[in-house]
Formats: sequence, C-alpha cells, structure tokens
Amino acid sequence: MITSPPHPLTDDFLGFGLGLRTPHYQALLDDDHAIDWLEIISENYMIPGGKPLHYLDRLRARYPMVMHGVSLSIGSTDALDLDYLRDLRTLADRIEPAWISDHLCWTGIHGQNMHDLLPLPYTEETAYHVASRVRQVQDLLGRRILLENVSSYASYVDSCMSEWEFISLVCEQADCLLLLDVNNIYVSSYNHAFDPRDFIAGVPAERVQQIHLAGHHHHGDYIIDTHDAPVIDPVWDLYAHALAHLGPVATMIERDDQIPPLIELVEELAKARQIAQPYLNHPLPWQQADLSSKLGLPMAMSV
Amino acid sequence: MSQLAELQSAFQSYLGGSTLAVDFERRIQADGKISASRRLAIYHDAYRLRLIEALATSYPILFKLLGDTLFQQLAQGYVAQYPSAFRNLRWYGAELADYLGTALPQHPVAAELADFEWQLAHAFDAADTALLQLADLAAVPAEDWAGLRFELQPSVRQLPLRWNTIAVWHALNQEQVPPSPVMLDQAESCLIWRQQLDAHFCSLDAVEACAFTLLQRGASFAEICDGVASHAEADDNETVMVAARLLANWLEQGLICRFYR
Repeated sequence: MITSPPHPLTDDFLGFGLGLRTPHYQALLDDDHAIDWLEIISENYMIPGGKPLHYLDRLRARYPMVMHGVSLSIGSTDALDLDYLRDLRTLADRIEPAWISDHLCWTGIHGQNMHDLLPLPYTEETAYHVASRVRQVQDLLGRRILLENVSSYASYVDSCMSEWEFISLVCEQADCLLLLDVNNIYVSSYNHAFDPRDFIAGVPAERVQQIHLAGHHHHGDYIIDTHDAPVIDPVWDLYAHALAHLGPVATMIERDDQIPPLIELVEELAKARQIAQPYLNHPLPWQQADLSSKLGLPMAMSV
Repeated sequence: MSQLAELQSAFQSYLGGSTLAVDFERRIQADGKISASRRLAIYHDAYRLRLIEALATSYPILFKLLGDTLFQQLAQGYVAQYPSAFRNLRWYGAELADYLGTALPQHPVAAELADFEWQLAHAFDAADTALLQLADLAAVPAEDWAGLRFELQPSVRQLPLRWNTIAVWHALNQEQVPPSPVMLDQAESCLIWRQQLDAHFCSLDAVEACAFTLLQRGASFAEICDGVASHAEADDNETVMVAARLLANWLEQGLICRFYR
C-alpha cells in the first residue's frame, strides 16, 4: 500500500547511473553508453589538480553528476570539519552536481578517520545530534543533502528503536533526503535478522532521491558489504519491491573493487532499467507531474 | 561527555587495539547467531586491512621490493603507530619512509624508495598552474637578467638520493630482478614533477643540482650563475651560457611557473 505524501520532496529523476571509477575514464570519453549520469566519490576530487580533475571536467561536459562523500562523519561527536565542508562546496561549485550525499554513520573522533562507515546507536539523543549537524551542513552547502543507510555488522545495546525509525526521525528533524542502498538493507537485514521489507516500508518514501545497488560477500552466518561483485538476485527482488513502494527513483550500481570492463556494468545497469520499466511507464500519482518531461531526456544530458 | 561521545570513544579505542574486546563487547547486542566479539572483530580486522591495503596501493614498487610477507609485517607496525587523520586514504602513509628508517635500518634503500615513490605519487595531483615559457622571457631587457628570480610550479620536488634507488625502481617497475642496493659515492639529486598529466623524474648532476637548489630558494639569475661558477671551471661568459642552458631546459620541462624581479 502506497502512502502518497502531500508534497513530494524528490522530483529529480535522473535515470540510471554508474559510479565513476578511474579504469573507466577513457571508455566513458571514447564512446556513448547507456548511462544517464555518474556518481563521483567527492573526496577523490577534493584535490588541488592533475589528472583526476582533468578527467572530471571532461566527463562532466558529457554526463550529469552527483557527489557522494565518505568522510563527512555526520554522526561524529567531533565538531564538524569546516575545512572539509569548504572543499566540498568548492567541488560542488565546480561540477554543479544534481545532489550531494554521504552516509548516516560516523567515521572517527578526536580528529582521526577510521575509514569505515561505523554504525550509530539508534537513540533519540543520537538522532537529534545528527539532525542538528545535517541542518548545519545543509545551511553551509545551500541545499538539502542525501544520507545513505550503511551496512552494519553490530548493533548497540543502547539502541531503543529500529534503524528505519531512526532514519525517519533524523530525516524529519533535519529535513534531509535519503539515498536508499538496497544492498545495504539486504546485508543488514541478514546480519541483524529483520525483514528488509519492513525497512523499506518504514522509511519516508517521499524523501528517497536515489538508490544504490551493489554486490557483497556471504560468509555463512554473516554478510560483508564489499562492492566487488555483481548484484545478486535477492537484491534485485528487493529493488523491485522497493520500486513498487517508492515509484521511479534514480538508481546507480556501485562497484568499488574488482572493477570489470565498463560494458559489464552497463549490462548490469540495463537490468535495473528493465526492472524499473513498469514504474517508469506508470509513475505513482505523486510523481507524475515531473516525470513525463524528464523521461524524454536523452541518455547523456548536457547540463 | 555525552553517551554518544563516550560510546564512540570506546569503539575507536577498541578499533585502535588499546581496549580489550571484552570491555567493549558489553555494549554490543548479542542475538545468538553471531557473538558480539565476532561482530566487533569484523570492524577491528577491516580497519587494519583497509589501511594496509591503502599503503600497498600507494607503494606498489616498495611492495615488490619487500615482498608480501615483509610488507604486511611492516605495514601492520606502521598502522599501529600512525592513525589516519585524512579524509582520503590516498594521503595515508606519508611517514612510511621515516618509519622504515627505524623499523628496517638494515635495508636503507627501502626507506629511500618509499620516499621516492610517495613524492612521485603526490606530484600527480598537485595544483595545476600556467607555466612560464621561454618566449615570456624574450622581452626582458638584458640589463634586468641578473636580478631575475623564478618560481617553481607546485608539483616540483627535489629529493636527495644516497642509494641506487632509481635503478631499483626501474627494475621493479619493469618486473625485473632489482640490482643489489649500492650506496652512491656521492649523494644524487632527483627532480620529480608533473608535466601536463603525467609525473616525471630525472637525476641532476652536481652543477645542475646546485643551480636548481639556488633557483628553488629564490636566488637571482646572477646568484645562480655564481653557483654554477663554483662548480664548473669556466670563465664568466661560459658560466652564463651554462646557467642559461639549464634555465632553458627547466622551462622546456615545464618546471617554472613565473618570474619576478
């Protein structure tokens, strides 16, 4: 059952994208591909100059882009890193992304970066702490940001609500958007023994702006989120279930390791497109206003 | 300290290895399927593996020199001693050369190779800038030349080498057996920079190294000529010609971004 929100917040349906990875620079420049947009890892381009920024500018001329960060550490109890946010804004000014995202997690305190997306306790105290920081970040960037649900392997005895209740509370308090990682929902649902459909039903649908899909490694009694393999069938099924609930959402395949030739990822992306097709033709009532014009966009829009 | 701050402090101490797992395990929900200690171990192991992998990515030639086992062992020691404060893992590992100097004193070429490899990698994404061209100097009146000073473009680094590090790097880069480490009779100066999109390096002879160091320190063209004269047995005219040829070569290599008087 779909609850139609009175004022949908996400009206930017970009289509189907891929994460920009160095081995694909040349292939992306040489030929046209069935890729509607690219997601960049923000930190890889928050650098002074050289080859990464050179290719970024050339690729930006061909593809819409979104920025995805890994070091915002929105849940940390350290003060917000204003230098980081200044550099993030400089990059955003350079490439004018459709949106900016990071993870609902913490990555370190006392000035350290553990380079991991560490889980937060699902408490009201934490939700209000995170929401207040999100508001500051949104003020500094001059736009709403998207927060992504992370894969987790441990949960705290301090937690007093479900992950989706926590996400909903943060979103509501911060007025931010969501990047729903369907693979992460699957991984965490296995590791913490919950029904992934409860997760999807529990998050605020009107705030979901983007979906991530990826592969993982199954170790028998737990799953590690590795992004080094194709999306598995149960995750595709969960994606279809999510679209039935959410309607069309900009979707991306995320591969961070064991990166195959671009063509393989384009084929995998075609599967997402195929699964989403029924929802593209029949957007949910609250999505119809903008979709009809946006679906007419060419594969590689020049923005 | 808030509950959240206290929890994060305990978790980070656990990841860094300074807290016994049992102290932190009490904070983790056990649901019967996997124990709290195994759940935490996933994060504990991933932290180390990620940083070690970052070092292996930043130092591929050093990895080949040391081999998997020794590299892993040294990288583990480095990770235990040096936490990351960087937003990007690519910047983790700047002190590895210093660390190898003390952790592997019997193989000094390893520390020097690490330094070389780090500098080469970081010329890669230094700031872009417009370069000074030989033609830009054509309009400078002859009488002004003595007072000209130059600024190097941001990617340029000069590295003193005491070992046959470049020969070792070349061999390993081409998947060949590296030559035995040999201490050079005289320390060599190696120049590293990025020209357009690619990093380059070359060794400098004593005259060029002296002149280049002077230029780097902001010396005037006349002072650079004096430096050349102190290294070469030449009259004044020849000295100026040598210095001018060096300058022209540096301009051609894209090392200088501006001049000032």
